[in-house]
Amino acid sequence: MSSDEKPAAAPRSLAEALRGRDDTSLAALLRSRPDLITPVPSDLTQLATRAGTRASVVRALERLDRFALQTAEALAVAGDPATYGELLGLVAGDARDPEVTAALPGALAALREQALVWGADDRLRLVRTARELLAPSAQHPSPTGLGPSVQEATAGMSPGRIQEIVATAGLPSTHDSVSAVGALTSLFTDRKRMAGLLAGAPAESLEVLERLVWGPPYGQVTHDPAVRLRWLLDRGLLLPTAPGTVVLPREVALHLRAGRAHRAPEPVPPAVGAAAGHRPQVVDATAAGQAYTALATVEELLQDWDEGGPAVLRAGGLSIRDLKRTAVALDLPEPVAAFWVELAYAAGLLASDGEADERYAATPAYDDWLERPPAERWARLAEAWLAATRTSGLVGGRDAKERALSTLGPGLDRSAAPEVRHRVLVLLAGLPEGAAPDTEAVLARLSWERPLRGPQTAQGEDDLRTRLARWTLAEAELLGVTGRGALSAHGRALLGTPADRAPKDASPTPQGPGDKLPVHHRAGAAGPEPLSTTGRARAAATAARLLAPLLPEPLDHVLLQADLTAVAPGPLKRPLAAVLGVLADVESKGGATVYRFTPASVRRALDAGRTASDLHAFLAAHARTPVPQPLAYLIDDVARRHGRLRVGAASAYVRCDDDTLLNEILADKRATALRLRRLAPTVLAAQADPATLLEGLRAMGFAPAAESAEGDVLITRADAHRTPPRTPPEPVPDGPPVPDATLLSAAIRAIRAGDLASTAPLKPADTTAPLAPGELPRTSPAETLATVQAAVLTGEALWIGYVNAEGAASQRVIAPVRVEGGFVTAYDHTADEVRTYPLHRITGVAELAGD
Amino acid sequence: MNGPLIVQSDKTLLLEVDHERADDCRRAIAPFAELERAPEHIHTYRVTPLGLWNARAAGHDAEQVVDALVEYSRYPVPHALLVDIAETMDRYGRLTLSKHPAHGLVLTTTDRPVLEEILRSKRVAPLVGARIDPDTVAVHPSERGQIKQTLLKLGWPAEDLAGYVDGEAHPIDLDEDGWALRPYQRQAVENFWHGGSGVVVLPCGAGKTLVGAGAMAEAKSTTLILVTNTVSARQWKHELVKRTSLTEDEIGEYSGTKKEIRPVTIATYQVLTTRRKGVYPHLELFDSRDWGLILYDEVHLLPAPVFKFTADLQARRRLGLTATLVREDGRESDVFSLIGPKRFDAPWKEIEAQGYIAPADCVEVRVNLTDSERLAYATAEAEEKYRFCATTATKRKVTEAIVRRFAGQQILVIGQYIDQLDELGEHLNAPVIKGETSNAQREKLFDAFREGEISVLVVSKVANFSIDLPEATVAIQVSGTFGSRQEEAQRLGRVLRPKADGHQAHFYSVVARDTIDQDFAAHRQRFLAEQGYAYRIMDADELLAQDG
Repeated sequence: MSSDEKPAAAPRSLAEALRGRDDTSLAALLRSRPDLITPVPSDLTQLATRAGTRASVVRALERLDRFALQTAEALAVAGDPATYGELLGLVAGDARDPEVTAALPGALAALREQALVWGADDRLRLVRTARELLAPSAQHPSPTGLGPSVQEATAGMSPGRIQEIVATAGLPSTHDSVSAVGALTSLFTDRKRMAGLLAGAPAESLEVLERLVWGPPYGQVTHDPAVRLRWLLDRGLLLPTAPGTVVLPREVALHLRAGRAHRAPEPVPPAVGAAAGHRPQVVDATAAGQAYTALATVEELLQDWDEGGPAVLRAGGLSIRDLKRTAVALDLPEPVAAFWVELAYAAGLLASDGEADERYAATPAYDDWLERPPAERWARLAEAWLAATRTSGLVGGRDAKERALSTLGPGLDRSAAPEVRHRVLVLLAGLPEGAAPDTEAVLARLSWERPLRGPQTAQGEDDLRTRLARWTLAEAELLGVTGRGALSAHGRALLGTPADRAPKDASPTPQGPGDKLPVHHRAGAAGPEPLSTTGRARAAATAARLLAPLLPEPLDHVLLQADLTAVAPGPLKRPLAAVLGVLADVESKGGATVYRFTPASVRRALDAGRTASDLHAFLAAHARTPVPQPLAYLIDDVARRHGRLRVGAASAYVRCDDDTLLNEILADKRATALRLRRLAPTVLAAQADPATLLEGLRAMGFAPAAESAEGDVLITRADAHRTPPRTPPEPVPDGPPVPDATLLSAAIRAIRAGDLASTAPLKPADTTAPLAPGELPRTSPAETLATVQAAVLTGEALWIGYVNAEGAASQRVIAPVRVEGGFVTAYDHTADEVRTYPLHRITGVAELAGD
Repeated sequence: MNGPLIVQSDKTLLLEVDHERADDCRRAIAPFAELERAPEHIHTYRVTPLGLWNARAAGHDAEQVVDALVEYSRYPVPHALLVDIAETMDRYGRLTLSKHPAHGLVLTTTDRPVLEEILRSKRVAPLVGARIDPDTVAVHPSERGQIKQTLLKLGWPAEDLAGYVDGEAHPIDLDEDGWALRPYQRQAVENFWHGGSGVVVLPCGAGKTLVGAGAMAEAKSTTLILVTNTVSARQWKHELVKRTSLTEDEIGEYSGTKKEIRPVTIATYQVLTTRRKGVYPHLELFDSRDWGLILYDEVHLLPAPVFKFTADLQARRRLGLTATLVREDGRESDVFSLIGPKRFDAPWKEIEAQGYIAPADCVEVRVNLTDSERLAYATAEAEEKYRFCATTATKRKVTEAIVRRFAGQQILVIGQYIDQLDELGEHLNAPVIKGETSNAQREKLFDAFREGEISVLVVSKVANFSIDLPEATVAIQVSGTFGSRQEEAQRLGRVLRPKADGHQAHFYSVVARDTIDQDFAAHRQRFLAEQGYAYRIMDADELLAQDG
């Protein structure tokens, strides 16, 4: 890393290093660590300070790839500052692994760009916070498995013991401990002399070192260590840290590791190769088939919820029962059903209706969506999927507070999701057309790119990013972005063409005095950035255009069979599918749809207002084959019985054995108000209530009799007038009721306490003038405190003036128990209970004069 | 991308029969998919784990299956389905039962974790013996059937390569004089013999008995034949004497009345499953001779206890014969593991097309209950309802009308309820065969019917199985065992045998409208409708009017 124009002086701090960087280079920093400019810092010093805060550094470290992180870890165990050579030795080992050597400048540049490392190559400094996070300490072992250095480990050791060690190690004794430790360190770091020292070691002792070399570097020893341990302890090859614990000093470990800080440096990202190859046409066709299924599924879901979907749980989301029901209705496993529900939600096709009794329902956007051509509908779903942070894969799990995570409920957002989805698709796009990757290779690559978010976060089960990646692969297949595991042409288009990303890639290589950053190297490694909103829309449109010709053309006919089934040998035109969906039950779905006609389904169609002849005409029009006799018979048979029983509402009826009389009533103009209708020759139904009907008929000159529900004639008498239910009045006694014993004793206690407060002769603490009865005592806060504290010690009761939160003043007699944090806890004689009073509300105190 | 096949998400395959490549496709998918429905335009096949394992047992691999689907499918096949098929098929054959020269019967694996997994199962543990090496474990010979059943339930079906005992040799030859095995029968025998053990699925009337005889002629050893009832046993005996070199003396009948054990013994399920004081006294029959072949007639009716005995007979060759693998009790997997995989299957319609069974005209006649009957039906107790509507008097008139229409032809009237049958017999002036009719009397009547001395015969459900009435051209069903699908198939089978004069067969089902009789009829007919036998539906009035 040489530069033509050397800066005047090497930077002495991160702020100075930043000051030396040019705008492009700073922009690169801010782009990769956007948290540094929220809010915008006032100057570079503030920027540097913020870049050094723990939260920001953790965030930056988490975004490093595995090799950059390993480089940072190596710097954390190197000297501060370290030279490039020292760093290279730690990363690439004494053997100078050529692959690592080649990759190191890039990794270092990345760290510099992120402002995690600063200083020229001869004085590389890791930001202090990063060093603290990554350097090994007893509390948290370093991923390198290295222990503390000799200097750190010998701090606090008696000088005599140090001299003994130095002597046993075969070094001349020195005047002070510092130089002794220095001598020991230089012995350990000198490969030749160290080899000589170890050559004399007993074989068992070497085995001990072997066990500790790759960490953890700590071991247990007894009070009387075995010979093999003693040999090591005597020479400082193991140093005691705590009673019973020894550590392998860093320098010794590095010697044994041939200088390498990591057992396996991973300078190159693991390759994602093709596990299987298919013809691109097959992949596209399969993906398109799946895309069509996706559309059908979303439509079916919302169709199912059309007349009011499931209720919204009070905590938000869908109940498990409703999800189960939906899964059964869609004939899908529950997690897959959850995926479609979440997808429809993310695409804005369904939402909660916000009514008092809240339910989920399709949005108006759904109706617009339905009108679009299929390819566009798919693009909308795919776009929503790529950008969504909600992850349906979490459904069924529990959050940190052990609450169940429900579909559409809160707590499903994972901000890493869009980025992981994008990365996975980019990795797939990196393969030749039609090639499907090995899932594990994709996961390995992702974990290399973000190791700190990686597997060590949770033992046993996969970490979030890995799970997200697995879900992405499964969901991409479901959605038809991939087919047979390979990215389809329309899936590829979703990632956008280079043109969509042009504005971003155009950024020039940053140039900075002293800190030249080959940013281009990074951009190449990370692949295309996620698209902007407009770029996404454009990419989705391209994808739709590619997909459109692959989607099956909807059919307008079905095949009818004598076993009362109809088979639609492909997707149906929507109106046809809608009618058929009413007339028959769907029996199986997929490329084709099998419908079954049952009496119930035909009745459903009749209920929906169709007539038997409508249905015959409909079937004849849409069947490729003659309508089978049993089916025609079924429709007629159901139609024959349909509607034979009629149900309606009437308020009253008129019956009469003589139908001519009823004819007469119907013919009478005065009867129109009664809205009579003839149900049978001898029965009229009326929309008027029985009383009005009776009156009306009487007015017309008939003599009707009322009938009970059992058909008996009701003898009518004038009804007595009644009020609605009422309670009798309460008696009014001439005095208050006699109180019971509890009430009485409480009252007496209160009276006595109040009495004590107002009448007790007062012995004012310092004030000279005695207080007039009823006046609040006034003392200074300091005095109040002192008096109250004294009262706690003596156990005396005090008389206080107190202003409550509403501003009402009162006098109370209290016996303070405790004074702390500005509060007095006291037994209140007035209220007869223990209460707590804020000191600042106490206006003053006075001792009670005498007892 | 314009194949005849559509793959559905529920793993059914729809085959468009009118497609030009339909026949090729059928041949390609038949090994692994069960034909579920075969109506006129679109046939439905189902891919089940059992079907896929059947295919594996027949030597097909996952690649062939996937290729067949991809090749003939009209729409892209979902990737998940292909993966699932490959995984399912891959499960077969990881475990093998074989004979070890030193340790006897052993279970070996090609995939050690699978063996570990199944050995951990509580149900497998008691069935296996010592671990011989990491990939092999000993199995007690008596548990051969048990372990196969258990492994299938665990989803790791074992391939049984342990071979069979030859049994006591006995010369049996087909006596092909004036007749010959039909090509499909020959094919069925061949497939069975190469497969070792298994099931042959042939429609009623397609000559299953001859497939049995063919298998016996291959085995040339003592044979135990299990049949459903005594009449069926007599028929088997009659047929064997006629078609093979066996003589009357070589064939024994082991039933409620006779207990003969001969080189070829025909036993009824009923006598085998008779239980006295908690034991099955007739079980020793299985051990009474060194049988070389065991034949199961009507496998779909095999009673549960027989499965248990069969589990102990795994060293003998087993042939199952049936018209349908559908079991009302859902024990298809036991048939697979204990008798064997399906070895041959020919759809009903295909054999009909070849002219070996007579085409049939199926008609459902709907009769209206009279007003008073309707009222009585509405108030009948739930368990009496079916009996009531199935035996309505109106059915008698219709039956009489049909009998009149086909006067002179051989007509069978089949029903469930004895009173109804007695009454019909009286009105039609026809003899009635029911449970209490003695076997001798039955055979006398059957013979008379066969000879044409009687043209109308009224039978109860005792005649459901394996009676051979070659000249019946019309069957009238007045009531049935509720919604039994396989009973309907059996009854249709009564008229499906090829007629000497090429008469069309007629199958009438008389059903009371708007009652549960109609629902049961719909359920029964579904099987046949799915086999391509479309029912016409007629109103009784229409029929009576035509007749009048």
